[in-house]
Amino acid sequence: MFRDFLFFISEACIGMRRSGIMIFISIATIAVSLIVFGIFLLITVNMNNLADFISSKLELRVFLKHNLSTEELQILQRRIATMTDVKQVVYIDHETAWKQFQDNFKTMDLSDLLEQNPLPDSFRIYLEKNDQIPVLARYLRSFPEVEEVSYQGAIAHRIELFSKFTRVAGLTLVILLTIATLLITVNTIRLTVIARQNEITIMHLVGATHTFIQWPFIIEGLIIGISGASIAVIVIKFFYLFFSIRFQTAIPYVPLVFDSLTLNLIYGFVALMGACLGVLGAYISVSKSLKASI
Amino acid sequence: MIRIKNLKKVHANGFIALDEINLHVEKDEFVYLVGPSGAGKSTLLNMLFRADIPTTGEIYINNFSLNNITIRQIPLLRRSIGVIFQDYKLLPRRTVYENVAFALRVLHVERAHIKRQVTQVLELVGLQQKMNHLPSQLSGGEQQRICIARAIVNNPPILLADEPTGSLDPDTSWEIMQLLSKINSRQTTVIVATHNKAIVDDIRKRVVGMEKGRIVRDRQLGMYDDV
Ligand SMILES: Nc1ncnc2c1ncn2[C@@H]1O[C@H](COP(=O)(O)OP(=O)(O)OP(=O)(O)O)[C@@H](O)[C@H]1O
Ligand SMILES: [Mg+2]
Repeated sequence: MFRDFLFFISEACIGMRRSGIMIFISIATIAVSLIVFGIFLLITVNMNNLADFISSKLELRVFLKHNLSTEELQILQRRIATMTDVKQVVYIDHETAWKQFQDNFKTMDLSDLLEQNPLPDSFRIYLEKNDQIPVLARYLRSFPEVEEVSYQGAIAHRIELFSKFTRVAGLTLVILLTIATLLITVNTIRLTVIARQNEITIMHLVGATHTFIQWPFIIEGLIIGISGASIAVIVIKFFYLFFSIRFQTAIPYVPLVFDSLTLNLIYGFVALMGACLGVLGAYISVSKSLKASI
Repeated sequence: MIRIKNLKKVHANGFIALDEINLHVEKDEFVYLVGPSGAGKSTLLNMLFRADIPTTGEIYINNFSLNNITIRQIPLLRRSIGVIFQDYKLLPRRTVYENVAFALRVLHVERAHIKRQVTQVLELVGLQQKMNHLPSQLSGGEQQRICIARAIVNNPPILLADEPTGSLDPDTSWEIMQLLSKINSRQTTVIVATHNKAIVDDIRKRVVGMEKGRIVRDRQLGMYDDV
């Protein structure tokens, strides 16, 4: 088996040398497709990141009635904290709130107008997901301890839509791009296979099995796929580096994904795609030729 | 060894290439298949290694029915049958050596072994000097000899030769036919489709005559023009 394997590798190399320019065209085609694919993945990841970033800034503010005891407050806080999607509940007593308010509006001297702190105690609620904000707000409003609930309703709703959109559109486009890349790969590799259709038929007549004929082509596909993917990864990496620096200087408050684990995952995925597409493309094209030569 | 029963081949255009073919060939036999061009000799030979499929009728090789053969079994069948093709069917971008070695590679033979056997068989057909040439760099007769070498290199139990001397000069034709005869004496069934009257009449064997897709005569130690 090992002996055959060496033979297949040398056959693959011979085949590639003979296909010459076609091999470079195949590699370039796969590289271009994967670059589009990879850049698209990066955009999707950043969109999702942005949506998460904005929704993490969203909060519910629950203003409480004046007459609550410390115990009642603690019970309520714990109760809210255990609700689904609630990340954190922060208690802000009315004095801290008043101080913060005064700090924020230093220029106005309100002490003349207001003798007494007008603000109530409140909870600031951070959520895991923002799509539940309106529901939760309505629910909390029904509590007897609660005076009022406020949140940035319109923004929350829009971000929810936006993040749903990027997820669905992202997935759809990734699937479509995968199919398109596969079709392109199959067709470019198919050209190198068709050029050797006669050879395949002869091998068949001399008693070669399908597997025996297929292996060199599959190894060829693997090499083409990995080469194309390597080029794509390098291009995407530089593109992202260049683009993200530009973008960050232009719009510094929008966060981009710099997490090296996520990025490496994307690059790894692109490389894996290349390898799989090469192998699958070669397999599909050579199978067609084998069927034609029985 | 080879049994053919009521074989018929009708092409898509309605042309009947083979009709009512019944033929038994025993192990060790040497058979000449003769007849005018278009009689169906190549078609009949192609049926035996599944390069063509009969319309009706049965073929048995070693009691194994080709009617029930699976795709996986086809390579095994073909490895047990050496074929000298009328149009050579050489791999155009491989050297003479590689073309012959290929028949052994598909059998998973060891590299050293391949080298020994291929060198030997190329010597036998007189091509040892041209081992590293491409087929296109050789003459028709030389290409035919590559094809012969490839067909016999793995000592198959059955050897089918379709016009093996078509492009050879009389002397080489003689040598090649002597070679096929020698291979036959080593327990290999040989069927030769040929127009070479001189050889058929000289190296006397069983002669099966075909005309218009039918077998019209079958004689032991026959002659090319027997009536
Ligand atoms: N695909 C096809 N469709 C229709 N007719 C065909 C097809 N293939 C072969 N034939 C016909 O079948 C007949 C037999 O051809 P075959 O090659 O078997 O003859 P042959 O006896 O080998 O002749 P030769 O001595 O010239 O090699 C020919 O008349 C040919 O035209
Ligand atoms: Mg013929």
